[in-house]
Amino acid sequence: MVVAAFAAAIVATGCGGSTKTAARGDAAAVAAPDTLPLEPVTASDVHQRVLVPGARATLVNVWATWCEPCRAEFPALVSLADRERARGLRVLFVSADFDDQAATTKRFLAQHHTPGPWLVKTGRDQEFINGLDPRWSGALPVTIVYDPAGKPVQFWEGGADSARFAAAVAPLLEPPAR
Amino acid sequence: MRSLRLRSAPVVAAVLAVVLAGPPARAQIAIGDAAPMTDVKLMNVDGKELTLGGLAGKKGTLVVFTCNACPWAKMWQTRVAQIGNAAAGAGLGMVAINSNDPAVNAEDGFAEMKKRAKLLKMKFPYVVDATSDVARAFGASRTPEAFLFDAQGKLVYHGTVDDSPKDAAAVKDPWLRDAVNAVASGKSVTTAETKALGCSIKFRGKTTS
Repeated sequence: MVVAAFAAAIVATGCGGSTKTAARGDAAAVAAPDTLPLEPVTASDVHQRVLVPGARATLVNVWATWCEPCRAEFPALVSLADRERARGLRVLFVSADFDDQAATTKRFLAQHHTPGPWLVKTGRDQEFINGLDPRWSGALPVTIVYDPAGKPVQFWEGGADSARFAAAVAPLLEPPAR
Repeated sequence: MRSLRLRSAPVVAAVLAVVLAGPPARAQIAIGDAAPMTDVKLMNVDGKELTLGGLAGKKGTLVVFTCNACPWAKMWQTRVAQIGNAAAGAGLGMVAINSNDPAVNAEDGFAEMKKRAKLLKMKFPYVVDATSDVARAFGASRTPEAFLFDAQGKLVYHGTVDDSPKDAAAVKDPWLRDAVNAVASGKSVTTAETKALGCSIKFRGKTTS
């Protein structure tokens, strides 16, 4: 029943939609991991998603469950994604975990109530790294903020805190309501 | 209150500018450059202090930034040891450097380095970069990350080990091994720069400018 409700929510929101209904604060969030659909993406796929209209800023974060700084910053990013969605922020989490770590990846995403889409890097490392951003050395995590035209306006490797994430996207977002 | 706001505004703006600009651009040595910090003493797992200059081989020198804890370093550690042993046997200098702060992960401490060197039968030094400044000077950012210098001391290869961290049997591009073989035989390296995913180096607090 719970699983069916989760699946229905996924169908309703689509892969690119928010999973707030399914993945936050209810029993479905606990039951979700097995059914959470991971979507393999290349660097080109990520760029195409960045260019989908509707966001004032898109933050791409490449992470992995085995990466300590990735795990440390993850809650701040999820919080930012939820808090700033209404002001036009889109956050794309791209897992760099291996295929056979899918269960671990899904469990982590569900435990952190991560909004979708749930992307996972596919293909050869070097092509993905250079395709996403030639400045990237391959070290995880990496965070890139794009403007609505798909131009990267912020790029950094390594972990960050909520203040840095917020400062990186703030200039692109809708002004706060008065 | 108003004057306090006005006085603090430039400070806030400066802080914001730093935050938005992110960390300073990573200075990285380029193909053709010489190894930096060759006179800094580095503690080896045998308790002796060594320098990169003293470790340089007649045919060339291979420097690999690695660690004990990173899953990617672990996946490649056997191959790094094999390539390193082969390099050392072919007349190249070879050193593995751990620049990670063990305060982040105790597995990256010196005692574990000793065990790892023994386990992997390393025939080359595995040293501690006690300030992480050597990694900074090279521009190393992840583990494992290799820098190979030729007989003239010029960087001829920088990058990863190969294209298949998880499965040694599935390697199609053994970039580092090919580069070492080329340098050992006095030939040009075909592929000079490669990348792979990896753990970020857990730098200690900055100690030098």
